Amino acid sequence: MGKIKSAIITAILLAAILVLGFFATVSCAVPNSNGVKRYNSFISSIRLGADLTGEATTVLYPEGVISAADYFEGLPALPVEGEDDYADKLEKYEKYTGKYVQRGSVYVEKDLLEDEENNLSDKVKKDVEVLSARFDRKGYSSYSLSVQDDYTIRIAVPTNFSYSAYKQNNATARSDETAKISRTIQYLATSGELSVSSEKHSIPAKDTAADYFKSFTKYSAANNYAVKIRLTAEGKKGIGKLTSDMMADEETALNFYVGETQLLSLTISEAITGNSFYISVNDASYAEDYSIILNSAANGEVLNLDYGVSDSLKINYGSAALGDNAAIYLFVSMLVLFAGAIVFSVIKYRKLGLVNAIMILIYALVIITSVLLIEIQLTVAGAFMIILGLALLCGSNFAAFEAIRGETKRGKTMRAAIKAGYRSRLTAILDLHVVLVLVSLMTTLICMFTCAGEIFACAFIFFIALVASYILYWFTRFMWYVLSSPAKDKFAFCGFKREVPVDD
Amino acid sequence: MTNLKISAKMHIMIIVSAVIIALGIAVGCVCHFVADGYFNYSGEYKSYQSVTVSYVVLDFGKDDELRDLCDEEFKNNGVKYYNYSKATNGGELTFKFSENSDTAKIQAAVEAINAKLKDESADMTGLSSAVYHTVKTELGGANVIIYGSVALAASVVFQFIYFAIRYKLTMALSALLANVHNLAIFVCLLSLCRVPVSSTVIVFATLTVLMTMIGCAFLFDRARKNIKDEQFAKLTNFEQVDLCAKQSLVSVCVASVCVASAAAVLFVLMSISALSVIQIAIPVLLGLVSAISCVYGTLFFTPAVYSRFKRIGENFKEARKKSKKV
Repeated sequence: MGKIKSAIITAILLAAILVLGFFATVSCAVPNSNGVKRYNSFISSIRLGADLTGEATTVLYPEGVISAADYFEGLPALPVEGEDDYADKLEKYEKYTGKYVQRGSVYVEKDLLEDEENNLSDKVKKDVEVLSARFDRKGYSSYSLSVQDDYTIRIAVPTNFSYSAYKQNNATARSDETAKISRTIQYLATSGELSVSSEKHSIPAKDTAADYFKSFTKYSAANNYAVKIRLTAEGKKGIGKLTSDMMADEETALNFYVGETQLLSLTISEAITGNSFYISVNDASYAEDYSIILNSAANGEVLNLDYGVSDSLKINYGSAALGDNAAIYLFVSMLVLFAGAIVFSVIKYRKLGLVNAIMILIYALVIITSVLLIEIQLTVAGAFMIILGLALLCGSNFAAFEAIRGETKRGKTMRAAIKAGYRSRLTAILDLHVVLVLVSLMTTLICMFTCAGEIFACAFIFFIALVASYILYWFTRFMWYVLSSPAKDKFAFCGFKREVPVDD
Repeated sequence: MTNLKISAKMHIMIIVSAVIIALGIAVGCVCHFVADGYFNYSGEYKSYQSVTVSYVVLDFGKDDELRDLCDEEFKNNGVKYYNYSKATNGGELTFKFSENSDTAKIQAAVEAINAKLKDESADMTGLSSAVYHTVKTELGGANVIIYGSVALAASVVFQFIYFAIRYKLTMALSALLANVHNLAIFVCLLSLCRVPVSSTVIVFATLTVLMTMIGCAFLFDRARKNIKDEQFAKLTNFEQVDLCAKQSLVSVCVASVCVASAAAVLFVLMSISALSVIQIAIPVLLGLVSAISCVYGTLFFTPAVYSRFKRIGENFKEARKKSKKV
C-alpha cells in the first residue's frame, strides 16, 4: 500500500474515532441557547443500575392502615376547656383518637383489627408473595419487596435513570422514568379479579378468567406495541358470543378490569372469532405492565387487601448505594484500565502497540454506542464484563503478536511471519470466540425468557463485547498492514527482531 | 511451572481445594445457625431495622446538618447503621441497621432525634420527624439466582459438548471439572470471606466460568498444537502438560489479571465516592474472589487433573489397540 493511501485511511479512521469519541463522552451546554439546552453525551445517557443511580422506594398501606405522619396530620387539635365549641371539638378529637390503634410505627383502624387481629399481618405477607411474583416478571436488575412494620409493604426497584437523569441534567428523561416507575407500581399492585365486560354485557359470572384466557403477552412490531391476548377454546366461544352481542347492541368498547380498575379498552368493529387478538398500547413498558397484571389476575393471583394505589403514590428516589458520583468514578476506573492497556501495548510493541490502541478505542466506542442504543442497563457487574471483553481483545491480539514474534525469530520475513502467526492462532482464537459467543447468547436467551434482569444485561453486554473483539482482531491485521506500509523497517515498527538463520 | 511440576502434584491440589471447600462449607454452616445465614446476604435478601427521617423544608445544605444531628444521637446511644441513603427528590433520609442491632437503643436514638428536632424546628428542620421501622425481607431477586444458575449450568454443559467435539474427550472432561471446581472454590470463598451476597453474585459466578473457559481454551489449544511436535511427543505425560501450562500461562492469566486490576482500581476510586466501604466491597471482593479462584483453578488444579485424564485416555487407547490386535 502506498504512503498516501495509508495516510488517507488512517486520517479517516482517526477523525471518525475523534468525532464519535467527542459525542460519546462530552456533555455540554448547546451554543447560542443561553445555557438552556444541554447536550448529554452517549455515556451520560446510558441507563444505570440501582448500584449507580439508587432505588425508587415506596410503601403500600392497606386500607385502614396509615403512617404516623398521616395520623398526626389528620389529628384535630386538643381543645382547651372554655374555648368555642369545646364539646364538639373534644368529641371530634376523641372520635379520631378512638378510631385508630398504634401498632409500632403505623396506626391501624380499630374495626379492622377487631375483624382481622389474627390474620391482617398474614394477609400482608401473602400479598408480598403475590406482588413478588408480579415484580419478578419485570426483569429488574435488582428489587426487593418487604413487610414493613408488620402491616405495610415496602417496594424498592431500580430507578433505571441515566447519569444525566440522576443528576437532573435531563429533566425529560427523569420525568419519563419516574412516570414509568409510578405507573408500574400502581398497575402491579392493583388488587381484584380479572373481568371483561362492555356497558351491557359481560363474561358470565360463574366462569373464571383462566377458563377464557391462555395468556397475555407483550407484543412489539415496527415500534408499535400491543398486548397479545390468546384465548382458550372456551374463551374463543365466550368472547365470540360477547362481542357478537355487543355488535347487535351497537356497542364498541370491550373493557378489561382488575377489581374495579379499568386497565384496557378495545374498540371493536366486528365480532372476535380468532384464537387471539391484540390491544395496542403506548409503549413497551405499558405493554409489559398490562400483560403482567392481566396474566397474574387471570391465573387467580389476587391480593387479599386493597392498597389504594389508584391515588398518587409517594415515591422516594434514594441516592446510589455506591455514592452520589459512583457512575463518574466507575467511568474513570474504566478509563484508567483502558489507558493502562494502551500504555502497556505501546511500551511492549511500539508502533504496533498504537494499532492495538486504536482497536481498544474502537472497542470502547462500540460498547458505549451499543449499550446506549439497545438500552441495556449497566451495573458495576456489567462493567466487569466490558473489562473481560477488553481482556479478550488484548489477549487475542497479544497472542497473535507473540506468535508473529516467534516466527520472525525463526528468520521469516515480516509478511510471511504475519501470515504464519495469524494462521497458527486461527483455531484457538476462533474456538475461543465461538464457544464464548454461543455461551453468552444462550445465557442471554435463557435470562431474557426467565426475566433474570442483571445477568441478562451482563450476558448481552459480553455478547456484544465478544463480537466486537473478534471483528477487531481481524481489523487489527488490516490496520497493521495499513499503518506499517509507509515504514521502511517493518521489524522496528513492531519492536521485533529478525534472527536470520546461519544457512541464509 | 515446568520446574515446579504442577501436573504431578494432583493430590496436593485436591487436598488444597478440598480444604478450601471444607472450610467454606464449615464456616457457612456455622454462620447459618449462629449468625445471619450461610452467606452474608446483602440488602435485597436481608431483614433489617431502619430509621427514616422525613423533612418538609430545609434550606440548601441543611440536610447535611440533619444527618450530623442523627449521627450524633446514634453515636450517643451506641448504635451503628450499615447503610445510609438520601432521597434525591428530597424529603427523606434513611438509615439501615442490621436485624441484630439493639432495638431499644435504636428507638431511644429515634426519641432523642425527635426531641432535638422539636427544639430546633424553628431555625432548622421544620416539620421533621424520625420514625423507627422493622423491615422483613424474605423474597426479592431470588428467582434471578435460580434462573441464572440454570443458564450457568447450561453454559458449562455446552462448553463440555463443544470441547468434546472440537478437542478431545479428556480435555472436555478436564474443562468441565475445572468449571465445577472453580465455581465451588468461588462459592466457598464467598462464605469464608463473608462477602455480602446479592443477586449480583450470579454475574460474578458467570464471570468465573467465562474466565475458566478462556483459560481452558488457551491451555488445551497449546496441548492440541504441541502434539504435532516430535520433541514434545518424547516428553513424559506430566512434562507435556507442564510445558503446555507454561506456554499458555500469560494467555490464561490475562483475563483474571484484568478483572483483578478492575476490582483494585474500582476500590481505590469508589472509596472516594461511596458512602460506606461495605457497599463497594460487594463488587470489588466478588471480582477479586472470582479472579483468584479462576487463576488457582485454571493454572494449578486443571493441569494436574488433565495430566491424569490424559494418561487414563492414553492407557485406554493402548488397551483397545492391544485387544484389537489380539
